[in-house]
Amino acid sequence: MSGGIRRWLPVVAVLSAGGAAAAVTALLLGEVMVGVRFAPALGVAVLTAGAAGVAAAVVVVRRRTERLRAQVLEAARKEAKEEHRRFLRRLDHELKNPLTAIRLGVANLRAADLDEAARGTAARVDDQVLRMVRITRDLRKLAAIEDQPMERLPVPLAGLLEAAGEAAGELPDGDDRKITVTVPDVPWPLSQPPGDADLLELALHNLVANAVKYSGPGCSVALRAFEESAHVVVEVADTGQGIPADELPYVWDELVRGSEVRDIPGSGVGLALVQAVVARHGGECEIRSRPGAGTVVRMRLPLA
Amino acid sequence: MSSATDGEHRPHVLLADDDEAITAQLAPLLERSGFTVEVVHDGGAALRGAMAVPGPDLVVLDVQMPVLDGREVLRRVRRSGSWLPVILLTQVGESAERAMALEEGADDYLNKPFDPYELTARLRAVLRRSGRGQPPLSASRTLRAGELRVDRTARRAWLRDQELVLTPKAGALLDYLVTHPDELLSRERLLEVLWGWETASTTRAVDNRIAELRRVLGDDPASPRWIDTVTGQGYRFIAPVKAGA
Repeated sequence: MSGGIRRWLPVVAVLSAGGAAAAVTALLLGEVMVGVRFAPALGVAVLTAGAAGVAAAVVVVRRRTERLRAQVLEAARKEAKEEHRRFLRRLDHELKNPLTAIRLGVANLRAADLDEAARGTAARVDDQVLRMVRITRDLRKLAAIEDQPMERLPVPLAGLLEAAGEAAGELPDGDDRKITVTVPDVPWPLSQPPGDADLLELALHNLVANAVKYSGPGCSVALRAFEESAHVVVEVADTGQGIPADELPYVWDELVRGSEVRDIPGSGVGLALVQAVVARHGGECEIRSRPGAGTVVRMRLPLA
Repeated sequence: MSSATDGEHRPHVLLADDDEAITAQLAPLLERSGFTVEVVHDGGAALRGAMAVPGPDLVVLDVQMPVLDGREVLRRVRRSGSWLPVILLTQVGESAERAMALEEGADDYLNKPFDPYELTARLRAVLRRSGRGQPPLSASRTLRAGELRVDRTARRAWLRDQELVLTPKAGALLDYLVTHPDELLSRERLLEVLWGWETASTTRAVDNRIAELRRVLGDDPASPRWIDTVTGQGYRFIAPVKAGA
């Protein structure tokens, strides 16, 4: 059992670092204790059933504890996520009134009789306020995606991909990217996963906007979809600048901006929105990237 | 800066928001835009001001206020039988709150932090509608536009005797269109109606819902009876809308 206990320790450490409740940790340790107390019973089994029986019993205990560990981890993760969402909502709420007052104040300044330098300053302040407004708006959007009622109708993804490809060309700098859209219709047209077309369009748009934004003139942006074991897989790939490996695990978090792209405007909420949309559809997201070569983001949407 | 209305009359706006940082900036902005502004800082004062004789031409109500919140003020004003135009400043981007704002009889609403000139545009539009001496469409449960009948509370609609099958979002969009007829509604504004956010980039969602509405209404975009496309700007509900069954 000592080997078993050693394997538990990292789990406890992860939970504490994640800010999970102490009760969860206690529950976890409690289960280890239960395992140890069961050991003599297993010993009896050894004598009567022989070596093969021991192996089976140990496997059973291990499976049980592993299942419990997964449940406890999942509960802790959920709780931490909820707390995080509540914080974002409070933040959004507390920023609303000051931002409204600043917007009004700047509008009043810009209407006043100012000299040219002051007019320029007021205009730049206005730009920065709008930037903050966009960030709070995106955070609110994120909350709305997670809370609002969602449609569950067959989504014509092929059409959405075509539209997103077209929209990409109309984005700033979009006209000098090579944009391709590949959707199979042989031997049958792409299946339509149940979901909310508005939300999936939003997710696709965010991915395509990222692909265009973080690539240069002449780069390729590919939108593609295909079916794979009861899922529709949608990929948006680009031959852009890529994301450093050490930043890759954090790209789904809110307000995260890559260290190499701080000069490119963005709210840092785009990929978090994508993940929230896909999660509401019961799907998963995945990102692969090579610095200097490009990035591909994959959304897997269940068909039922 | 253009004035609020033609002629000498400056519309009287009652502005109710408990945050002085906002009223101190908003009042002069509205004054400059041609309105006469009276400021109050809680719901009780807002209700007294709204029911005063002679009363204001329009009320701008923040939702979150001490004493009475903005929605409660609105409810009491409407319960008294008053048609006084009301614009709500909403705090929460939730669809439930937006739908409720209109169902409880607000003439319009804006999410904070709003564009200051968007607010003055809404004030003028609401005053234009209310200037016709009829009860506001937003205070009516049932609306009619030619052969189209909309039960706003039940969120159902009929064309002649045929009930229309609408997705909830298309229903919400139709409700907003029929309560804001003859008004140029930008895609961004309609996106906000649908989802509570406005982003310039993904307004295709609006176009798709408009297409859905046109399909069920049998409306031809080339010669529309109900929904007109204003190229490059948005949409306009062109059929005259009347209150009542």
